[in-house]
Amino acid sequence: MRTPSRFMLQLLSGGIVICAAAMYSAAADAAPQVTLNASKATPRQVEPLTERAVLRDYKSAWTSLTQALASSSLDPLNGLFEATADKWLTDAVKDQQSSGLSRRYLNQNHQVDAVFYSPEGDVIELHDTAEYDLEILDGSKTIHNEHVIVHYVVLMVPGAERWVIRHLQAVPQF
Amino acid sequence: MKRGLPIVLIVVVVTAVLIVLGLTVAAPTSAGTVGLVRRSGLPGFSSNADTPQQAMSNFLVDVQKRNWDRAFASLERTSQALTEKQFEQEWTGANGGLRSFSSLEAFDARPLHATDSDAQMRVRLDWATPVGPVEDVRDLHLTKRGDQWKVVWNETPRPNVPAQVVPVNYLRWDLVTGSASGAEWGSHNVDAPRVRILSMNAVDTAEGAVVMGEVVNEDTIPAFVNVNATLVDAAGNVIDDETSFDKILHVLLPKQVSPYRIDFPNFSLKKVKNVRIDTKATLVPASSDPVIGVMNQKLGQDAQGHAVLQGDLLNQSGQTVNIPHVIVSFYDNNGKVVWVSDGYVEHALLPQSSEPFAVELPKSLAGKVQNFHVVVNQYSMENS
Amino acid sequence: MSWSISTVWKTLRPGFWVLSLAVSALCLTVALCAQDITLQAPSDAVAGKAAKIATTGSGSAKFYLLGPSTAVKRDVQLGQDIALAPDEVQSAGRYVAIVCAGSCANADFFVAPGKPVSLVFLVHPSRAPVGKSGLISGVAMPFDEYHDLVLTPAAVDFQLSAKSGTPVSHAVETHDGAAWFRISSGKSAGPLQITASMNDVVARRVVQQVASDPCNLRIKGERTAQGIEVETDPVRDCDGNPVPDGTIITFTAKGGDETSTVDAPVKKDVARARMSAKGPVVISAASGVVMGNELRLGGQ
Repeated sequence: MRTPSRFMLQLLSGGIVICAAAMYSAAADAAPQVTLNASKATPRQVEPLTERAVLRDYKSAWTSLTQALASSSLDPLNGLFEATADKWLTDAVKDQQSSGLSRRYLNQNHQVDAVFYSPEGDVIELHDTAEYDLEILDGSKTIHNEHVIVHYVVLMVPGAERWVIRHLQAVPQF
Repeated sequence: MKRGLPIVLIVVVVTAVLIVLGLTVAAPTSAGTVGLVRRSGLPGFSSNADTPQQAMSNFLVDVQKRNWDRAFASLERTSQALTEKQFEQEWTGANGGLRSFSSLEAFDARPLHATDSDAQMRVRLDWATPVGPVEDVRDLHLTKRGDQWKVVWNETPRPNVPAQVVPVNYLRWDLVTGSASGAEWGSHNVDAPRVRILSMNAVDTAEGAVVMGEVVNEDTIPAFVNVNATLVDAAGNVIDDETSFDKILHVLLPKQVSPYRIDFPNFSLKKVKNVRIDTKATLVPASSDPVIGVMNQKLGQDAQGHAVLQGDLLNQSGQTVNIPHVIVSFYDNNGKVVWVSDGYVEHALLPQSSEPFAVELPKSLAGKVQNFHVVVNQYSMENS
Repeated sequence: MSWSISTVWKTLRPGFWVLSLAVSALCLTVALCAQDITLQAPSDAVAGKAAKIATTGSGSAKFYLLGPSTAVKRDVQLGQDIALAPDEVQSAGRYVAIVCAGSCANADFFVAPGKPVSLVFLVHPSRAPVGKSGLISGVAMPFDEYHDLVLTPAAVDFQLSAKSGTPVSHAVETHDGAAWFRISSGKSAGPLQITASMNDVVARRVVQQVASDPCNLRIKGERTAQGIEVETDPVRDCDGNPVPDGTIITFTAKGGDETSTVDAPVKKDVARARMSAKGPVVISAASGVVMGNELRLGGQ
């Protein structure tokens, strides 16, 4: 075998090893895993259809929140948030756009309990124990990576066609 | 070019000959035979009305082409008080009635009986209207005057409503939405009207599945109501969902009851395990006026032998109802809604005046009907 | 050239070791050059109040703060406190503070809500028929100045007063940030004022108590030249409240094989209609699902 060919092969192989060691696994984010237990909600019992709708819409909301903060874009928010929750997310995305930051929520697992359902069914309070990998990037550079368990107090209200998140507030504990 | 010219000349000559033939050759008839008359789309020219069917055809063609002078002149009027203008309005409508926005698409006249001087023909008129095709069936009498047959027109002119002042002091409701800016959560709370489904009945028909029943406004304010139905199979999957569309009294005043009917064309209830009914009620401005009485309601048969509920609408207010729409729920002897029918009245309902209506009922159900309830949906240009 | 595994490995082996050694040397250099940076996050941050993060180390660094509505990046000096402006910590929730100078260090902390300055007060229904058990309900939730939900338990005082009758008061402690009540509607139609108060924070709502379904619906009528004039007695519910004007009364007249109906609205407590029927007729009235008496009139 000729020397230049051997050298090229060695260089190529070394490059592959470095890239494999340094490469970040950019597998597409799996959708958030969400489970909902509505059996303890008071004073009103959560109807089975409502439970299914809340679960579906809460999961969609987290999917769109994840996409919005990962891409620093408002487009994914899509009417799944309103009032304070929408304002906070919009402010966060706009801040990220001007600072060049972004954040990723990976491998999300949400265990949600409905703790309060108003007598008229116009507001439901959820306690979400969310476990995920949080990655913060400055441009394309990862500056922070941690696995966390965060407790969220969530207020959802029925909209025209779906339940929307009105308030999403992290707390130290429930 | 030289070869083409003779061909062109030949084509032109043949076309002209065919036009002349088409215009002049009459349909073959033999004396004493009364045949069918059918016309649709393009009008044709009239010729001598020496047979009942020819006279009928001429008359209807003139109506379709809006040749009112000729159509009116060809009539044998039983009431000399009838003017051409009134005759024209009978066909073209007035006062924003449904007929004003309609056109006669086609007609079909069949003989019922005939003698040397008298004939009766059943005429089916197909109207194209903004609410869909409407069929109108009339029995018209013809008589022979000299060697010409004439359509006997025995419609009397509508009575003139005398000028008067009608006070309107019924309640009306306005809707103030309020400004959204700065509104606190829960501070602008005006609940949607409370409506309740009173009954629901799902049946299979030749055209498909039908879900029908009644709904009531239990609230103290008017409600704009729509009823939706979803067909669900045994696995819980949605098969189809439809809305009541116009087969419901949409604006329900407090404590008012309306029938509703939801059609699922070409669906059968065989695969349906569950029917989910959902009402949507929203706040809407409304008025208690006009009050429309439904008088002289009775079950009978029309000229074609169809079971119908007929009666008269009486406008007890001072406002013209441009397009009245009658919706009827039919009950069996257990009070269960077995059918819901509807029909539009083609002429406007003038103040303090009445108009007849007839709504068809499937023949198979006519024997089961013990009772019925009629409501009147109405569109008034003044309120739009 | 042969491409068997052993041939390829023999070819690659020297280069592989060279590269690995180079990468290790680089990492060691970086590690030796990195500073020991620490952050101390505030332990009692409150929404909308300035806070600070203590740092160790020296030199300049990049500071990042990410929170529920915040994503901040700026240059700071290590060894000095990093000041957090009130508007950077307005939203209650979890914050991550990061400082990078070569390597990065981080700290996370929670911002708690401030004291309640407003009460979200949801009351239903806006119109309540009188005399119905458990019909009226309300939920109150306290929020701070920056719309953060205050979860610390606190007492909410609900007070209800109708036009007639003495005001009723009911104190409830918030649980998970919400306090609620449920009561029956009164017997008299009219506005019911409901207030929710927490210390000096007050929210007011009004529920219109309206008449229930008509009760003892009675009609009377007589034949006139124009037809049959029929009217109801004053239409009231079972508690004596007049039903609102505009309530529809359906009059039905049956005579022979003909029926006539009129949907007439109540006007000043009474509904009237004119019906046509020549022979003997039976007239009845209904409102919603409530039936009235029957009236029999002879023929003309």
